[in-house]
Amino acid sequence: MECVVQGIIETQHVEALEILLQGLCGVQKERLRIHELCLKSSPNLGAVSSEVQILCDLAQPEPSWTVRHVGGSMRGTGAEQISVLVRPMVESKASKNVLRFFYALGYKLDHELLRVGFAFHFQRGVQITVTVSSVNKMLKLHATDEAVPVTPGMQLVEVTAPATSENYTEVVAAVTSFCEHLAPLLHLSKPGISTGVVPTAAAAAASLMSDGGGTTL
Amino acid sequence: MPLKWVLQWQPNPGTTVNSQILAEVSQCVEGINGVKEGRWKATLTYYKPILRDQAMSPEMPRDFIGMSLPEQPSKYYFTLRSHRIVVESDVSVQNIMEKLQSYKSRVALIFEGFQYQLGDFQLRVGKVVPSHSENLRGIVMEVEYLPISSLEKSRRIMEEFIEIWQEALSKRSLPGHFIHVEPNFSEFGLSDHYTSQHTAVQYATVMAQLIASAQAVSTVRN
Repeated sequence: MECVVQGIIETQHVEALEILLQGLCGVQKERLRIHELCLKSSPNLGAVSSEVQILCDLAQPEPSWTVRHVGGSMRGTGAEQISVLVRPMVESKASKNVLRFFYALGYKLDHELLRVGFAFHFQRGVQITVTVSSVNKMLKLHATDEAVPVTPGMQLVEVTAPATSENYTEVVAAVTSFCEHLAPLLHLSKPGISTGVVPTAAAAAASLMSDGGGTTL
Repeated sequence: MPLKWVLQWQPNPGTTVNSQILAEVSQCVEGINGVKEGRWKATLTYYKPILRDQAMSPEMPRDFIGMSLPEQPSKYYFTLRSHRIVVESDVSVQNIMEKLQSYKSRVALIFEGFQYQLGDFQLRVGKVVPSHSENLRGIVMEVEYLPISSLEKSRRIMEEFIEIWQEALSKRSLPGHFIHVEPNFSEFGLSDHYTSQHTAVQYATVMAQLIASAQAVSTVRN
């Protein structure tokens, strides 16, 4: 399982966000360049139609591959009351021919994206990952070098944390509390519920840029 | 990693494999001074497609094999022989396959037995049984040569070892012999340098042979 929230930020404020995250996390950022291929099962395959993501990490000297399955989000009044999305997620590293394998099994490419940006991985009671990336689409199949932004001038911020059915309330609390620190720059909510950019972003960014993140927002 | 050959027991026409043969093979390893080191176990699962409309001619493969190997306990291997693909992944990939509900794991076979050390060689002799029964389906033997990782460089010494082994075993007049069918590893994109993916491909080949010989036996019977 994972807990996840998303938000958007104008590209001009990303540097300020980076300074803030650097101060909050106390770790070095990692470069992010991920080619994301979303596959769907052929019409006749499977009890129900299914989707699987094949991720290729292009930031590594040797590209590494991951298979990811994201399930339906948790439902019910309990889930509605929390501001974080909790959903089943399973990942597995795989050898480089994993895409060819899924094609052979009867999966077809639905769409592909290239995420370019940076990520922070850190411990805050629980393991939290923050990614800030521009989402790009390919004009030609697999042409990652010619990718263009889906939303120019905007970047996607995602905060995720692995969880289990036993500890997810604790993880949700940790993610929620962490998100409050970012509030002056951006608002984070459940994926699919966009809240837009925050009006205080420009002022908060200016303040961060002027003193390198020394001020408590 | 050290390379290995996976051999399988080929019963003489009209005979079948039995536990007495397995016992004699194990005794024979000890007879040539193989030192028993402990148990080993590998698990093999067949995945078959779940089709919504059985009548529609499927473009999907009939099946593929998933395997966990004792040499890499955190990894899982898929072999799709028809497409010459072998994939190495984490064990969690089994969980992903289960969630996708597109392929169902059907028959699980277990390879298990004892491991022996014999100079620079490590031997593993094991029975092949379905996961929920003790019905012996076959006998396999892994011959691992510890100092070398290159398939080509080790070929001669492996052939010589197998020759000595076959000779030792032939004194027991068992109704069959071990065979080694070497897959064309380069077709699977594998190099001369041995990896666990080579092991997975060898087991997939052994399974194809086991199924073919079982079918041949039933054809003779009918």
